[in-house]
Amino acid sequence: MRLTGFPLLAACSLLAAGVANAATRPHYGGTLHVAMRAAPASLDPADPNQPDWAGSRNLFALIFDTLVSLDEQGRTKPALANSWQSEPGYQRWEFSLRQGVTFQGGTPVTPDAVAASLRAVNPTWKVFPTGDAVTIERDSPAPDLPAELALRRNVIAKRESGRIVGTGPFAVMQWDAGKKLALVARDDYWGGRPFPDSIEIEMGKSFREQMISFDLGKAQVIEVAAEQAHGASAEGRRVERSAAMELVALVFSHDPQSPADGRQRQVLELSIDRELLNNVVLQGGGEPAGGLLPNWMSGYAFVFPASANLTLAQQERAEVQTTTLWSLGYDADDPVERVLAERIALSARDAGLRLQLATGNTADVRLVRVPLASLDAHVALGELAAALGLPRPKFAGNSVDDLYSAENSLLQAQRVIPLLHLRAACGVSATVRNWSEVRDGSWGLPDVWLAAEKP
Amino acid sequence: MQTHGATIGVYNQYRGYMPRTTYNAAYALRVLKMLVPLSDRRRVARFLLLMMLLVPVSRASDWRAPAEQLARKIAVATGPGAVAVKVGNRSSLSNSEVEEIRRALLAELGALGVHFVNADQAAVTVQISLSENLQDYVWVAEIHQGDNQSSVVMVAAPRPNAAMTEHPPAGLTVHKALLWSDENRILDVAMVNANPQHMILLEPENILLYRLQDSRWQQEQEFPVPHLHPWPRDLRGRLVLRKDHLFDAYLPGIFCRSTATAPLAVNCFESDDPWPLVTWPLGAEPSGLSAFFASTRNFFTGALSPGIEKQTTAPAFYSAAALPRNKYTLWLFAAVDGRVHLLDGITDQTAARLGWGSDIASVKSGCGLGWQILATGNGDGMSDTVRAFEIADREPVAVSQPVEFTGNVTALWTEADANSAIAVSQNSETGRYEAYRLSLTCGL
Repeated sequence: MRLTGFPLLAACSLLAAGVANAATRPHYGGTLHVAMRAAPASLDPADPNQPDWAGSRNLFALIFDTLVSLDEQGRTKPALANSWQSEPGYQRWEFSLRQGVTFQGGTPVTPDAVAASLRAVNPTWKVFPTGDAVTIERDSPAPDLPAELALRRNVIAKRESGRIVGTGPFAVMQWDAGKKLALVARDDYWGGRPFPDSIEIEMGKSFREQMISFDLGKAQVIEVAAEQAHGASAEGRRVERSAAMELVALVFSHDPQSPADGRQRQVLELSIDRELLNNVVLQGGGEPAGGLLPNWMSGYAFVFPASANLTLAQQERAEVQTTTLWSLGYDADDPVERVLAERIALSARDAGLRLQLATGNTADVRLVRVPLASLDAHVALGELAAALGLPRPKFAGNSVDDLYSAENSLLQAQRVIPLLHLRAACGVSATVRNWSEVRDGSWGLPDVWLAAEKP
Repeated sequence: MQTHGATIGVYNQYRGYMPRTTYNAAYALRVLKMLVPLSDRRRVARFLLLMMLLVPVSRASDWRAPAEQLARKIAVATGPGAVAVKVGNRSSLSNSEVEEIRRALLAELGALGVHFVNADQAAVTVQISLSENLQDYVWVAEIHQGDNQSSVVMVAAPRPNAAMTEHPPAGLTVHKALLWSDENRILDVAMVNANPQHMILLEPENILLYRLQDSRWQQEQEFPVPHLHPWPRDLRGRLVLRKDHLFDAYLPGIFCRSTATAPLAVNCFESDDPWPLVTWPLGAEPSGLSAFFASTRNFFTGALSPGIEKQTTAPAFYSAAALPRNKYTLWLFAAVDGRVHLLDGITDQTAARLGWGSDIASVKSGCGLGWQILATGNGDGMSDTVRAFEIADREPVAVSQPVEFTGNVTALWTEADANSAIAVSQNSETGRYEAYRLSLTCGL
């Protein structure tokens, strides 16, 4: 081989001078800086004191795995379990475990460890090792058990002397409770080593503080309040939004005590202008909701009325001889909840009802925000009901009809008035690549990678 | 003990109230997608035309079953008689599909004794909404009877995946032909021109051998790829056809070798041997250039074997392409630093701002300068492109229009005869991996 001269190489070299070209394959390395509002006191997802905030799954998914996970369509897929099968009747299930998986620190994940982890958070389940698998027995048919195992609380963890260790893609390097979490990528992670070398998460930061960090380049991923997402995007920031996945609802502390009580609840529901709440208070950060599940998940939510009808509300009110003064509770630390509560009280007054705002936990009716726990509609409805303090829905089968019947029954009981479904929003730096939009607001941080410069 | 098989492969059939099934990796059924041997481009064109003609027919038959079921439910609620029916669309269905469904629903209702009247003459009104959720179309009928009597019935029908996009016009034209589509990640595909034709598919956990029979690919053998260490993210792998045995497969830290005759056996073991960068003519390696792949990453370390003349290292790179010249070979490396390095045995020149992605491959088309470079674009996750370039001296010049992919290209390898390349992309709409053969023709 002989090389002739390259007189034109200089021109080519000029093109090259110090300029990086974009490349689509992911880069390994770097530290991803994240800020979030929640300030959890523990890293245990099953801690009963653990607040159920919308971003919790993003945090815990970095450290823990579940036996089963859900894909974008809500279908189950293998995680720590390779495969599973049930006996007829769906009461007894066997989950075969992936081989070679270790906890942070190198302890192997054994069927005993998995069984102990699941028993700790599900005391009514019978969970025991069977060879290389784990068997779960339930008291009643549980056709949704695989999807249930994908829930945050069912992460596989080793709890020892107050310390919790997971099998997830990152290992905990530093944990300053409620303030800072430093994670480092695990080279031996069964799902492949994450692209970032490490992640540093600043906790307990208000939305405003997060935005400042973001603008200063100190944080590359931040949470953005639903009502601020539009403005943040209009100002040129990259804002990623999930599907509407956090329910805002009014929940009564007890069932209707009389027909008049039920009618008064109906008047309250008819009086609330959800469009106004969404467009004015939340700046379009969500969608009006008549049902508990959003339409993208159920496909039928539009059959539940979500429109205000003040005239009808006043007519209904006229048929109630005496109305009860209700206290309306809300989270005093959440400025949006306060504004929503005030608006609701005003609407109720227009319909002839009396609502008194309260910040305690003993209110007659509470304004709550509950994120959807699962992309599986049946599991999501069950978890919503539990979070709202409603009876667990009973599904006659697995069809969309059965789902509708169960949801309709919950609504007919008049314990809950759905108001809105909010979208989760986050600010993402232009240097963060391979960000995937997941419907439920999951971040998928192990798969993102950091580019050297903005595109 | 009952096994719950995956629902994969039944998405074009009406599901109605079929119980949701759980995914069982061990027992998942493989989808046999459409597959055509691509030795004759005219046959491909005829096949595509046939597919286009068949699609509306098959979709129409898809609607019939859910329409029949919903009509039955409505008729049970309304009974025979005068009914006003309205159909609205809340889904991603097109207007023509909605019209097709509306006609099917009305026909089914009519067959069940329902008479249609205007709303002001009807005792019963039925508002049918064609909606959808994560997995299915959901058709909902709200039935209003008399004063305040209303009921809701519904059915679900699986949503099919989106259709493919097709070729753009071009000068020198890049042709893209679908070979295979799979829910599992496809690392590489190799077509074996034998009688019958065979196809080898490299996936993260398996190597699959298919045989063409009656114009369909039938799985003949499946070989697991055992690996003690977890695969890296952005897993890559390559199949290389051989003369003395059928194929070798290279994965990070793992090497697999097949036997020569059927039924095949495949032996895999841990190995850090370099991956061949040149696979033509068939079996040329080890005389060709090879490179060491970082077993826990997604790139080549840059160490070359035996080297390009005096150059035994290149910058760490994702992909490489050779352009044979009269007296030497010019090598292009799509480096991890985002630049394209041109190595000729003596010098290492750098080109940037080419708009190329991480994957390049060379193809011998016989057009123009004879050899072209296929380069991916700067895929944004939603779409990507592959475009042909020529390098007369050192400056790449685009010689084709980019061919579009619905999702990032995840693999691009020159085929064994160097006349075409295999491109794999992950469809951003369906999530499925799609393997294509890319070939070039002269002119428009």
